[in-house]
Amino acid sequence: MKGNIIGKRIPRIDSVPKATGTAEYTVDLKLPGMIYGKILRSPLPHARIKSLDVSAAEALPGVCAVITAADVPMGKFSFFQWLADKTIFSSDKVRYVGDEVAAVAAIDADTAEKAIELIQVDYDPLPAVFETEEAMTADAPLIHDQESNIGFKVERHFGDPDNAFESCDFVVEGCYKTDRVAHCCLEVSNCVASWTPEGRLSIWTNAQAPHTQRQEVARILEIPLQDVRIINSHMGGGFGSKLVMDMKLPIAAVLSKKTGRPVKIQNTRAEEFSTAKTRYGYTMYVKTGAKKDGTLQARTVRVIADNGAYHDKGPATLNFSSMMFATLYNIPNIHYEGMVVYTNKQMSTAFRGFGNPQLTFACEVQLDELAEKIGMDPVEIRRINANTPGQKLQCGAVVPTCGLRECIEVAAQNIAWKEKYNRKDKLRGVGVANMVHTAAGGRYYGYNATDSFIKVADDGTVSIVTPGLEMGQGVHTVVAMIVAEELGLDMKSVKVLSNDTDLTPYDLGSWGSRATFVVGNAALATAREARVVIIETAAKMLDTKPEFIDLENGMAVARGPGMPEKSVSMGKLAAYAINNMKAPISVKGQWADDIPEDWDIKTEFVKNVRSFAFATQTCEVEIDKDTGEVKVLKFVAAHETGTTMNEMLAEGQIEGAVMQGIGFTLMESMTLDNGRVVNDGFLDYKLPTFGEQPEIDVQLIETGDPHGPYGAKGIGEAGLVPTAAALANAIYNASGIRVTELPITREFMLNALREK
Amino acid sequence: MKELINLTINDQAYEVAVAPNQTLVDVLRYQLELTGTKKGCELGDCGSCTVIMDGKPVNSCLVLAMQAVGKDIKTIEGLETEQGLHPVQKAFVEKQGVQCGFCTSGMILSAKSLLDKNGDPTEHEIRKALSGNLCRCTGYQKIIESVQAASKGVSK
Repeated sequence: MKGNIIGKRIPRIDSVPKATGTAEYTVDLKLPGMIYGKILRSPLPHARIKSLDVSAAEALPGVCAVITAADVPMGKFSFFQWLADKTIFSSDKVRYVGDEVAAVAAIDADTAEKAIELIQVDYDPLPAVFETEEAMTADAPLIHDQESNIGFKVERHFGDPDNAFESCDFVVEGCYKTDRVAHCCLEVSNCVASWTPEGRLSIWTNAQAPHTQRQEVARILEIPLQDVRIINSHMGGGFGSKLVMDMKLPIAAVLSKKTGRPVKIQNTRAEEFSTAKTRYGYTMYVKTGAKKDGTLQARTVRVIADNGAYHDKGPATLNFSSMMFATLYNIPNIHYEGMVVYTNKQMSTAFRGFGNPQLTFACEVQLDELAEKIGMDPVEIRRINANTPGQKLQCGAVVPTCGLRECIEVAAQNIAWKEKYNRKDKLRGVGVANMVHTAAGGRYYGYNATDSFIKVADDGTVSIVTPGLEMGQGVHTVVAMIVAEELGLDMKSVKVLSNDTDLTPYDLGSWGSRATFVVGNAALATAREARVVIIETAAKMLDTKPEFIDLENGMAVARGPGMPEKSVSMGKLAAYAINNMKAPISVKGQWADDIPEDWDIKTEFVKNVRSFAFATQTCEVEIDKDTGEVKVLKFVAAHETGTTMNEMLAEGQIEGAVMQGIGFTLMESMTLDNGRVVNDGFLDYKLPTFGEQPEIDVQLIETGDPHGPYGAKGIGEAGLVPTAAALANAIYNASGIRVTELPITREFMLNALREK
Repeated sequence: MKELINLTINDQAYEVAVAPNQTLVDVLRYQLELTGTKKGCELGDCGSCTVIMDGKPVNSCLVLAMQAVGKDIKTIEGLETEQGLHPVQKAFVEKQGVQCGFCTSGMILSAKSLLDKNGDPTEHEIRKALSGNLCRCTGYQKIIESVQAASKGVSK
């Protein structure tokens, strides 16, 4: 769609403040009287706390407060409260290197740091376990007071895979592993907590989901929800790491309460690497069977996800990846078994794609193995198994629109697949992978809806209050574009107000590629409501009928048969509404996903997703035989957008995600020494830089969506979902080395090439 | 313990009391409240705190405030003039070299520093000059395009 605004390459509304350094982030915030908090963390992966002595820290000049488990509510907490397993501070035992033990607040950060060092803790070390499959054995040390370290299990079953495998012409089995990787937001996790004299708590923090974090803070501190307010600023990246409340929020709140002053707590980069949570590492046992014509008949998987020491988004991650497992292709016989397993490591959490990048790596690499066994081109096997628009899948999901075949065509063509596949020269090769992802968040809260408000001011500007959480992806720009499009305004005339839970309507936050879809739909409904009121007002003012009024260039223009053209500016119109009609223009709009009332997530989990987006990525790599370096020459990322709201934003999302995918595949890994993260800085944790960045050819395929705003689908996460598989498949095509474990480091490649 | 020093930042003279171990980035952010300079790692690895010192891009987390005495310091706040945004800032806005914005100040200053010396750099020269600046959002492509657009803007 090309409107006046929608579909155009519109610059972000926050780019000038960001390019001039005036955009304020939480980490820039300094309140009058503010003091600095610091958390004492466990140095051991698993140990009993024998004794704790804070007296020397308390005696240090400049220290305002020292708190331990004795000073805070000690009810257990988790994102899913039915899995609650973590207290604010550990009182009896610590379960990972970084577990919170105590905290101080002092007049400056240096004093707080010194005070932390003065706290004496006597630990009794316990045996620790770091690998999931070791943690599942009968004699493994138990991390929580439970029968085993398996924390949660889920199973999905469709058809009869066991029998189906019997009748398949080809079957492939294998084990695939992905590593735990860090989100690496450039702004570290931080917060400032402050109480009003009336006893109300405000927390400024970089949160992706302020309304649910508000509930989490109230829950863990055992205070009424109405006493908590969460305020966001500009945010230096999220990627899933800032969905669930970090313990520094209640800790800062308690320190602030105790001292009567605002308290700021901010991670160091090393703390961020050690405690800010990671992507769930997946170990996946996969089996796929097909007929000799390449049609997929059966697929099973057993996923073992590394939970770390406490629960977080594990069930959501496993459930979500089970759904994508069942919907990428229409396979009649499927079994999915997933579990999260405790280890003595930092917690895992959501990370762009909710388990789907891990699972897609395994499934799409195995599909290439299957194609090879059948003697089929990897592009061809994907083409014949691709879903089509309107298809009802065996698992129950319906795919209303699907552009996968178009994605496959363009991705193969733009990488010159026919010329380059199997050329077997100079260790160069090409690879392909498909993916499906949610384009509209998820419904597992039981609802997926939000509101927004619009007011028209007598200066001609329009303000929209939206809960759309801007973490860098551009949702505020999308919201402003929708309002401008509907009301005939330029972008400068639209203001987006957001990010304070006292101001914004309730919303679930920015995750699951849902913001454009859910928040965008609410903005569209609100803008259309405002349009009706504006046009009615203009009709009165211009003495004509509403059907003759149009909104364009900041004006309401009346054009009708046999009447002279008349117009009035938005500002004058708003003033008329205020002064003459005594009815200032302000409206509310809402969008609610029509979740079936009888939906049971346990049995009908496939209805968790409102809308799907498909994609194909292809790439070309060249491997250096002397260094093992995998040089990525080019990526083609062909993604279904439904309707492209803003090409520049969509490309930016996909380019950035592909680069995160390249890091996930080739470079990123947490190195542990007895549970301690050794590479806890950017010097040792390899993040992709300008040097690794290949040409990324983003192709946006418009298929429309029956429910998205203007037909748009969410595309925030999709860009890294197929990246690892496409790369691993290209590496196989280049070298004959089949990689089943991430990351594919230079060291691994070099050894593999030598062994060949 | 603290000593009074004079700093020249964005052509303005400042007198500040600093401890010997205090870094330039901390003085900029916490004493002078020039928070456009960001801190991403405090170890010189990420480039978010890049400022221009005597024409060269430096990680201000690796420069002691006292080392900056007598130097000409340029931060992101000093780029915009009465004529409007600096061409590099304008290009980052128009080509969307910005997402979350946290690396942006450092990127823009590294790019400006490059373009001041070399008005028409090759893509390789851009990658090399900006290689000390990390970005987790953009995938770098639109940053390269922004610098290329600015270089054309600068050389015109």
